[in-house]
Amino acid sequence: MKNQIKKYRLQLIMVILAVTIQACDDFVTVDAPNSQLTTPAVFEDALTATVALTDIYAKMRENGFLSGRPNGFTCLAGAYSDELISFEVGNNTSESFFNNALLSTNASINTLWRNSYNQIYAANAVIEGVDNATALSEEVKNQIKGEALFIRALLHFQLMSVFGDVPYITTTDYNQNSTVERMDTEQVFQQLISDLENAVSRVNITYLDSGRIRPNKAAIQALLARVYLYHGDYAEASNMASAVLNETALYQLEQNLDEEFLKQSSATIWQLSPGATGANTYEGNSFIFFTGPPSKFALTAELVAQFENNDLRKLHWVKQITNGSQVWYHAYKYKKDMATPSSVENSIVLRLAEQYLIRAEARAKQGELIGAKEDLNTIRQRAGLPNTLAITAEEILTAIQQERRLELFTELGHRFLDLKRLGQLDTVLGSKPGWSNTDQLWPLPQAEMDANPFLVPQNPGY
Amino acid sequence: MNKNQLFKIGAATLLPKLIVIFSLLVVTASHAQTTIIKGNVIDTSGSLPGVNVIIKGGEKGTLTDFNGQYQITARSTDTLVFSYMGYKTKEVPIANRAVINVALEEDTTQLKEIVLNAGYYSVKDKERTGSIARISAKDIETQPVPNVLATMQGRMAGVNIVQETGIAGGGFKINIRGVNSLREDANNPLYIIDGVPYSTEAISDPQTSTSTIGNGNPLASINPNDIESIEVLKDADATAIYGSRGANGVVLITTKKGKSGKTSFTVTTSSAVGSVSKMMDLMNTEQYLQMRKKAFANDGITNFPANTHDVNGNWDQNRYTDWQKVLIGGTAEVNNIQATLSGGNQQTSFLVSGNYRTESSVFPGDFLYKRGGARLNMNHRSEDNKFTVQFSGSYTAQNNDLPWIDYVTLSRQLAPNAPELYDAEGNLNWENNTWTNPLSNNVRKCLTFTTDLIANTVLSYKLADNLVLKSSFGISDLNNEDSRATPSTTYNPSFNLSSQYASIYLNSLRRRSWIMEPQVTWNKEFEKATLDILVGATFQKQSSAKQLALATGFSSNSLLYDLSAASQVLIRNNEQIEYKYQAFFGRANYTYEKKYILNLTARRDGSSRFSTGNQFSTFGAIGTAWLFHKEDFLKGTEAFLSFGKLRASYGTTGSDQIGDYQYLNTYSSSGISYGGIIGLQPSRLYNPNFGWESNKKIEAALELGFLNDRILLTAATYRNRSSNQLVGLPLPGTTGFTSIQTNLNATVENRGIEFTLRTENIQNDNFSWISNFNITKAGNKLLAFPGLETSAYRNQYVVGQPTTIQKLFQFTGVDPQTGLYQFTDFNGDGIISYEYDRQVVKDVNPDFYGGLQNVLTYKGFQLDFLFQFVKQQNFNFANTQKFAGHFINQPVEYLNSWQEPGDTAPYQLFATNANQQATQRSDFFGLSNAAVSDASFIRLKNISLAYTLPKSILPNIGCRLALEGQNLLTFTKYKGADPEFTQGGLLPPLKIYALNVQLTF
Repeated sequence: MKNQIKKYRLQLIMVILAVTIQACDDFVTVDAPNSQLTTPAVFEDALTATVALTDIYAKMRENGFLSGRPNGFTCLAGAYSDELISFEVGNNTSESFFNNALLSTNASINTLWRNSYNQIYAANAVIEGVDNATALSEEVKNQIKGEALFIRALLHFQLMSVFGDVPYITTTDYNQNSTVERMDTEQVFQQLISDLENAVSRVNITYLDSGRIRPNKAAIQALLARVYLYHGDYAEASNMASAVLNETALYQLEQNLDEEFLKQSSATIWQLSPGATGANTYEGNSFIFFTGPPSKFALTAELVAQFENNDLRKLHWVKQITNGSQVWYHAYKYKKDMATPSSVENSIVLRLAEQYLIRAEARAKQGELIGAKEDLNTIRQRAGLPNTLAITAEEILTAIQQERRLELFTELGHRFLDLKRLGQLDTVLGSKPGWSNTDQLWPLPQAEMDANPFLVPQNPGY
Repeated sequence: MNKNQLFKIGAATLLPKLIVIFSLLVVTASHAQTTIIKGNVIDTSGSLPGVNVIIKGGEKGTLTDFNGQYQITARSTDTLVFSYMGYKTKEVPIANRAVINVALEEDTTQLKEIVLNAGYYSVKDKERTGSIARISAKDIETQPVPNVLATMQGRMAGVNIVQETGIAGGGFKINIRGVNSLREDANNPLYIIDGVPYSTEAISDPQTSTSTIGNGNPLASINPNDIESIEVLKDADATAIYGSRGANGVVLITTKKGKSGKTSFTVTTSSAVGSVSKMMDLMNTEQYLQMRKKAFANDGITNFPANTHDVNGNWDQNRYTDWQKVLIGGTAEVNNIQATLSGGNQQTSFLVSGNYRTESSVFPGDFLYKRGGARLNMNHRSEDNKFTVQFSGSYTAQNNDLPWIDYVTLSRQLAPNAPELYDAEGNLNWENNTWTNPLSNNVRKCLTFTTDLIANTVLSYKLADNLVLKSSFGISDLNNEDSRATPSTTYNPSFNLSSQYASIYLNSLRRRSWIMEPQVTWNKEFEKATLDILVGATFQKQSSAKQLALATGFSSNSLLYDLSAASQVLIRNNEQIEYKYQAFFGRANYTYEKKYILNLTARRDGSSRFSTGNQFSTFGAIGTAWLFHKEDFLKGTEAFLSFGKLRASYGTTGSDQIGDYQYLNTYSSSGISYGGIIGLQPSRLYNPNFGWESNKKIEAALELGFLNDRILLTAATYRNRSSNQLVGLPLPGTTGFTSIQTNLNATVENRGIEFTLRTENIQNDNFSWISNFNITKAGNKLLAFPGLETSAYRNQYVVGQPTTIQKLFQFTGVDPQTGLYQFTDFNGDGIISYEYDRQVVKDVNPDFYGGLQNVLTYKGFQLDFLFQFVKQQNFNFANTQKFAGHFINQPVEYLNSWQEPGDTAPYQLFATNANQQATQRSDFFGLSNAAVSDASFIRLKNISLAYTLPKSILPNIGCRLALEGQNLLTFTKYKGADPEFTQGGLLPPLKIYALNVQLTF
């Protein structure tokens, strides 16, 4: 027994000593977790680099301006202007947008801002990753960087359109990004144009996939055309729209309006892939209802009344729901409110009809009235309507604006943005009880103003 | 006081003593004398086993057996000394007798023998140099609460505990000596259960723990009835040996151990009912509709909008439902049963226990929390007393079935004229699509299943009399599986959603850790001094694996938990995290003349949470104590001043509560798919350079005992300074993220005074009355923060002010003409803005807090009650319920709103949410000084009346009956629901009545 203890004692001491001595810095060094890839490694491989990029599209589909959810821009801007009635209840729902009674503490505003800049960060990280990459081919680098620049421009464009002067973020450096100031919208326009032109030069016209879920050159040009139009660069806007419209092998208007929003629509320039097999669009889920009153949104009677008799778009893209004597309408561009065995609809971000209307407007502004009417009539004819009766430039522009309202309703806030850029917000929306003339801009999120003292001043009225 | 309880306290110290005495007995037995003395030792409730019987002045002694009998050989002129932990020592001269029966009296003031667990070592309460607070099983057992932290509330100076939700399995917030870190989630203490560090990091996921805040509370797996004692280490002297993890204090939880002696079997059952202690006083239908209609009139809206069903005719104008009663007015039933078998002999003792607890909810529906667990505790000592082994292990399973939301917010917001819950056929009523039936939330389920294994073995070997080698080996293994199921039946049937629309989030987490702590202790007795040395090392590794899955598109709502029935399963998160930690530590304690004590502790820590080069840091402390009542100059005052000690300590500690891998620049899976491929996203903003923060603590204390320690008081004052703070620096969204891990050049000072008083007011054979009082005044201050003005913290902190302040608008009244709230425009720019006009500073940290406990014992009866008190200001209802006139119910206070020009009223005009200006003002009001008011309270936190049946009635069975209550009475002027707990919209702690029966065989 005693010997055994002695033996044991020795062993114990040795174990303790061994363990203690062996212990050094190595023990507390852990390997990188197997669920994470180092940033340089991501950009050593075309596939992982691509996935880092396409994840931004997935995020845009889920949250932020492009999302078709009730807190995305399509719904919020629709309720904020005169397209949608909100049936939601509560300060942090679309009701505050419908009432034009936003507070800077509004959760949806904060979410839009945060998600957009998070997506912009990811785009900048991709740009920097690709710039530093050594093993990627030039072609892959150009494609990925071009798309990332496009994302960056698109998001800043959206931010600027509702917040006014916004910081334009081009780096991942948090020291710099945490103290940025608001940038004058004119400078933002210059940055947007520069990024988009840069992107156009890098990306090919050929789609990399069969579903048009990654933007090609035409998608970038389509956005650029819009940006030029908003900025008043009409010649450039017209040229850019033409560049897209001339790709007739790729793009044609769907003559059957029920096919315009299908995922294989030949009028689609860029759409967002759904997140799951069989999933369709968030827009469809937000808008479609079967009995009234709806729980989320209905189209305003005012919008429905704008359609001329025989406008096929009213027949195909608007649906009436009745309950007794009560009548409601919902947007019916997307016809699936939930999943189907395989996806039939994707959220479309850029489509051909807008390019016709951009070119029509740009041409009218430059006095090319014939060309303007031609483009306008292309859209009208497809809707089963006779050619426009407008004659003067002013009449044509008014007709184009009306056509935009009816063609692009409940799509990414076109109506609100048109009223805003044309200076008609107060006249058109002034009849809403909550409207005031400072409502053309949304408040910067209070949490952001708190987090960055240089973001002052707040927009007027908030 | 019950002898068993006292026995338990002393068991740890008694055992070595018993062994020493037993050995002495063996040694001296060969010199036996002529007289044999026999006898029986009893106390008020019967015979007393294990009493030391020794001969005065000699070394010989024995113990009483299980029946209280003893036998000893002694000279007839000797004096016998009978001593037993927790009882007054009695000396009895033999005086030629052969039989001496003795009755021992309980000694409730015998604190000098209390030995505290200080983690790596233990120390006698009276000789400690550090600040350690303690509660023991006798305080815990009287409380019908499921969580360990709840048992500590109000009982410890310097320890502020707030229960964050009344939902079973929910969380607690604990601050030991204030808030050190600006990082809110980094103020948790280190928890150590029987030597094994216990991680309190979240185990659930925000997607699956939607009804309980805090993402799951691992401490819920500890059964309070298994706990022998909880020690809280507060100052540098006590915490520096825990180095980097000691900055926020250390909570040491020691579970019950077996006792040598007769094998005993104890069964405890308790049944309790709980309900919400205070409802809010809300408007009824008439008041509410009047408010709404006035709001529309004020806003000039004559046609009620389509979605205002409460007023536009869609809903009955005369219905009234008290939604608080319907949604949170239920009674939670709590049942608990615990069985313990314990016993052993001189070498080996054991304790086996099992427990099972169920707790239902105050919400409508059959929700149930279940917890079952088993524990084994074993101690063995070799015959030569050189080798000892201790093992403790526990396994707990928890099963929690909860609704997916806390109904409190809904219960306070639903319009009082909202429709019926059920239609005529008994189905959920959707009132023609005009509302979301609140009970549709019951269809969604949050299920949690957690199992937790903790085991620790300590082996020690006495190499020489003064040299002991020891090592502990501990493991913990926690599995958590929780889910949030959304069957399509939760939706309005008019949406036509099939089970294809059903979904479920499933989260699973496995966290395993091991720890090994080899140690060597050496002590040396000098003529007038003793020296104790301890050195040791820690190696710890913790691995976590987490997976969050989202499954959608089910063929049936009843197959939600079968992922193979889902048409789509997305893994949203699947991460493996490794944390490694290593340390070397030491302690040297030098005691001179048993009067002067010097205690030095140090630790060098390395943690994998820092990047290479920043991993290691050293911490240390010095503690001293002077037992001045032993000084010659106080000789003769012993009868009055029985104990006096001055102690002081200074040292540094740190914190590594910053999460793992924050220094890495990586991408990880985003869990969302695009074009059929799951994306990669940047994991975080990374900072490769952050390092350890430092926390310097200083303390001085005076401890005094009077009248043979019948009055004991402690006064301590401390100051902690935390600098180079490791924070998740809040960042604006333009950086792409919300925060980055970095060291902040800011210094926070926490100061406080703690005072405890224990008095033995009455102590005689039948009746005793003991009071314990503690009070803490603690506060902190931001000492320095270069660059505060341009940082994200500028609207949160002010240099020279506490970090717990709120910067608020200054409310100046309601404009009698416009009826709008008015505020001071501090910068005079004509606009009230968040940026420039939040200039009023209010501190929501308690001014002081504490508790008063009284224990009255009369024969077999014991009455124990604790009042908890907190003096504080905090946000009242105006912070969370501020939009009077919107489509939500409001407190009746808003009936005093402005009605027409000329009115002076405390609240502004009613307005709908189409009124941006009024809504904005209401928002300011909720963040103004008017929304902060007195939230002080005195609460009868716990009361227990127990009766122990005398042995004469049930000779072989110990029987104790107790009536217990928790949160029974609250005295407060608070304008809101529950003052303890001011976070709006969460279920407050419940008022509980319990009946408890304990049988011991």
